[in-house]
Amino acid sequence: MIDPDVKLLYAIDKALLAVMILVIMFGMGASLTLADFKNVLRRPRLVFIGFISQFGFMPLIALVLSLALNLPPAVAIALILLGCLPGGTTSNLFSYFARGQVALSISMTTASTVLALFMTPFLLQLYTSPFTQKISEQLGSNATFVMPTKDIVLSLVLVLVPVCGGMILRRFHAGWAKVAEETAGFMGMIVIVYLLGTAFYRHHTLLFSTPWPIFVATISLGLVGFLFGYYASRLLGAYPIQQRAISLETGIQNTPVAFAIILLSFPNFELQNDMLWVAILYSIFIVMSSSCITLWMRKRGAFDWDVYQNTLIHARLFGHQWKTDYPKGYLPPRIARDPSQGALREDSIRRD
Amino acid sequence: MDVLMEPHPSTFVHARHIPELYRLAAEKYESLPAFATRQKDRSWEPLTFRKLYERGRAIGEGLISIGVEPQEPVGVFSDNRVEWALADAGIQLCAAVNTPRGIELTDEELVYIVNHSGMRTAFVENSRMAKRCLKLRSQMPGLHILINLDNKETVPEGVLSLNNVESIGTKRLNEGSAAVDTRSDAVKSEDLFSLIYTSGTTGKPKGVMLTHANIISQTECAPVRLSCTDRVLSILPIWHILERMLEIYSVSCGACTYYTSARYFGEDLKQVEPTFMGSAPRLWESLRHRILTAVEKAHPVRRTLFYIALSLGIHYREAVFVLRGQDLRLRPISRIKILLNKVVAAIQWVIILPWFGFFNAAVLESVRRKAGGSLKGTISGGGALPSEIDQFFNAIGIPMLEGYGLTETSPVIAVRTHDRLVRGTVGPLIPQTEIRIVDLDLGEILYPNSARRGNGRGLRGEIQVKGPQVMRGYYKDDEATQEVLDDDGWFRTGDLGMITFNDSLKILGRSKATIVLSNGENVEPENIEMRVKMSPLIAECIAVGQDAKHVCALILPDLEACREAGFAAETLEDLVKQPELRDRIHEQIHNAMQNPLEFKRFEVIHDFRFLSRPLEVGVELTNLFKVKRHVIHDRYADLIREMVEPEVRHD
Repeated sequence: MIDPDVKLLYAIDKALLAVMILVIMFGMGASLTLADFKNVLRRPRLVFIGFISQFGFMPLIALVLSLALNLPPAVAIALILLGCLPGGTTSNLFSYFARGQVALSISMTTASTVLALFMTPFLLQLYTSPFTQKISEQLGSNATFVMPTKDIVLSLVLVLVPVCGGMILRRFHAGWAKVAEETAGFMGMIVIVYLLGTAFYRHHTLLFSTPWPIFVATISLGLVGFLFGYYASRLLGAYPIQQRAISLETGIQNTPVAFAIILLSFPNFELQNDMLWVAILYSIFIVMSSSCITLWMRKRGAFDWDVYQNTLIHARLFGHQWKTDYPKGYLPPRIARDPSQGALREDSIRRD
Repeated sequence: MDVLMEPHPSTFVHARHIPELYRLAAEKYESLPAFATRQKDRSWEPLTFRKLYERGRAIGEGLISIGVEPQEPVGVFSDNRVEWALADAGIQLCAAVNTPRGIELTDEELVYIVNHSGMRTAFVENSRMAKRCLKLRSQMPGLHILINLDNKETVPEGVLSLNNVESIGTKRLNEGSAAVDTRSDAVKSEDLFSLIYTSGTTGKPKGVMLTHANIISQTECAPVRLSCTDRVLSILPIWHILERMLEIYSVSCGACTYYTSARYFGEDLKQVEPTFMGSAPRLWESLRHRILTAVEKAHPVRRTLFYIALSLGIHYREAVFVLRGQDLRLRPISRIKILLNKVVAAIQWVIILPWFGFFNAAVLESVRRKAGGSLKGTISGGGALPSEIDQFFNAIGIPMLEGYGLTETSPVIAVRTHDRLVRGTVGPLIPQTEIRIVDLDLGEILYPNSARRGNGRGLRGEIQVKGPQVMRGYYKDDEATQEVLDDDGWFRTGDLGMITFNDSLKILGRSKATIVLSNGENVEPENIEMRVKMSPLIAECIAVGQDAKHVCALILPDLEACREAGFAAETLEDLVKQPELRDRIHEQIHNAMQNPLEFKRFEVIHDFRFLSRPLEVGVELTNLFKVKRHVIHDRYADLIREMVEPEVRHD
């Protein structure tokens, strides 16, 4: 697809990208504590719903999109890779503004980051086989393309090192961890803007020469993920605040991990170029689409959020034996049973 | 369209009068909290709508049994506390007239209010207040019964406690009496619900008679919708009509009112996370000061980020204001120019939006959290909101709904809404309210006047109001009533204002405060004072100069700020003696007023004197920190004479 002579990223860009991955993952670690891991066990049902959404639906969505749009094999592999990734800290921030349950978002990020060690390579192996065959055919009879599973696991482990580093810093110096977390967020943004800027400056023709199915695929992956996360979790019995968290967590993937895997595990230059381009496009579109989705959720969730928050604040101020009874017919049936949307029940589990 | 938007249902109780409101609210909201008070251990004590009504009934029954007649004024001398609400419920349900006032009033005022209203029964906040009343008993022979609101105290001899009254009532209710319900049912909407003695900035207190219809109309016409998921923080004095109206409105909507105090305000903002509150400009001044101080102490990178975010916020909102037609329009403006402005604003909006989006999320959200994080807006009354404070909070995303009204209009006449937030104005009129702008000298109606350009918009005159919120009159004072209320129901506010070209009301000053110079020029002191007070070194400024050649001013320096600026002084007295301070302040005033577009030549402060004592609430300031001009003029007559008659000094 991309002209093999075109250098999508120069050596300096790659170095910058590597530093960015390091810093962002370190910042992610700095925002996590051991308590976050314990919290995963406090809401196993919801984290499981999230797990199904993240590692069940997302890779399938990517596979279906690849097949339906008849994407070139390299692009398809990149798309499926994006589908199999864990969530990052960005989704926690968006979850906050979308009036989602941030604690659930954090739990899902934590759980998926650990589980990705097994799930990502396994799912990749499972779903990419039709495309790896195609690549092997293109390469000719004397070579076969094999999914570099070992390298992928290795990249995932490597990416987890700075996360652990961040967590250790958080454990021993919360103040610095806060600084690291915020610096990471800001640096991440600046490096992305820089990379995009230089990439567009050098290859603006690339944008126009990219075939439309690739745009459709990279835009849809996130959007369909949001949609599935939102409604499937509802069917599985999640409350609105949880739906919003699960939806965003499903659609927004940890792209730094994608870049790390692509750079470290797919040294084949031609393939790497195509895959990077897909990851870059996804990164751009996901920022825009999740901003819009967040605004929509914020508006749509305004009422149930007010109820949720008011109920929780009553419990906090008046004591936990207090029960807030809203007038009959005021609440939609879905939250009438438990206006705290499960939050008070979770808290009571912790107190026992 | 369920997919796009889930509507936010609002809850509201339609009632004809306050007793009915208390009853219907109890039926609809039952066990939801109506009021909540902070306890010593940081937990909060709720009072449910059901309890409010039932206890109010018992208190009402108790009041009847101790001889309170329908439509009789009953005093409530207390600041904010939940028992105030209970006492009010009792008074309303037995059809008496709540005559409230805080405890920071002078003995003279107290005696005047009690005697003028012919009050026989009064609730008092605590035993201290009860003892004060007992001491003054010889001067107010009509006051027979005192009821102490603080149930935890042992009451002085000859004083009842709220518990006493309530248990008398409960006993009678248990015996089958229903006198209180009969009284409630007989209330008519034209009956008085409250008699409020104004602590106005001029003259002796006047008793404003407000009816049930007055206050109910305010809840019906309120342009901001609350519901039973809202939390309203109460910081203004409850006997002030704005706070009173808000609390009654909160009861109608099923929202809970949380009582806080100046001391715990910052903490309670975080604890309660209010969604709405009534406020005075002073409150936002101090909150802004706190935010900016924290920013100054923060890391330089953070400080820079904050100021970038603030400036993006200001420009973003400005673009939005223009796009929504919410820019200040004092002069007529052609359609083409409006369109042109909108195109420019649209470009500005598109350019700023992504950056604002990021900084709004990353920086401004944490600033908003300092105000609890959930504020949908705040209604600001009791004085003009300085423009930089207005701009600051709107930019960081806390909508400032500045309103305008008087006790006599229960109180809201106009208020900005989220959709009609025109900065520099007090917003559009509320429904059912009529207004006219009248030339002070000639009595000509300037607005609405079809003979004038734009129907008289943009012309300055006295604001006169007609509507369901206008009081019945001043109690036992027909003369004063006739002065302000004509036969057609038009009420003269005594304030100067104009209607802007996008139909918002702009307040230009108080006609009673207007300084007329010896050359006949009229000067509005408020604008000058507000501009001068922007200097951090100046805590208070009072412009004077009636019948003088020039405008002069009394200046109270800010001791803390001056010390930070390098003036070594322990007390205000030491400080004001320093000649360097005089020079500095002179320079600051000069800089503040040098813009000829803002101030005309004759408006510039010509001379000033320092005050060496802070102004005191209850003496020179009203409880809402408004300067009582007549008191200042009396107290500092010598200083003022020194300035306005310089010849005397030279003699």
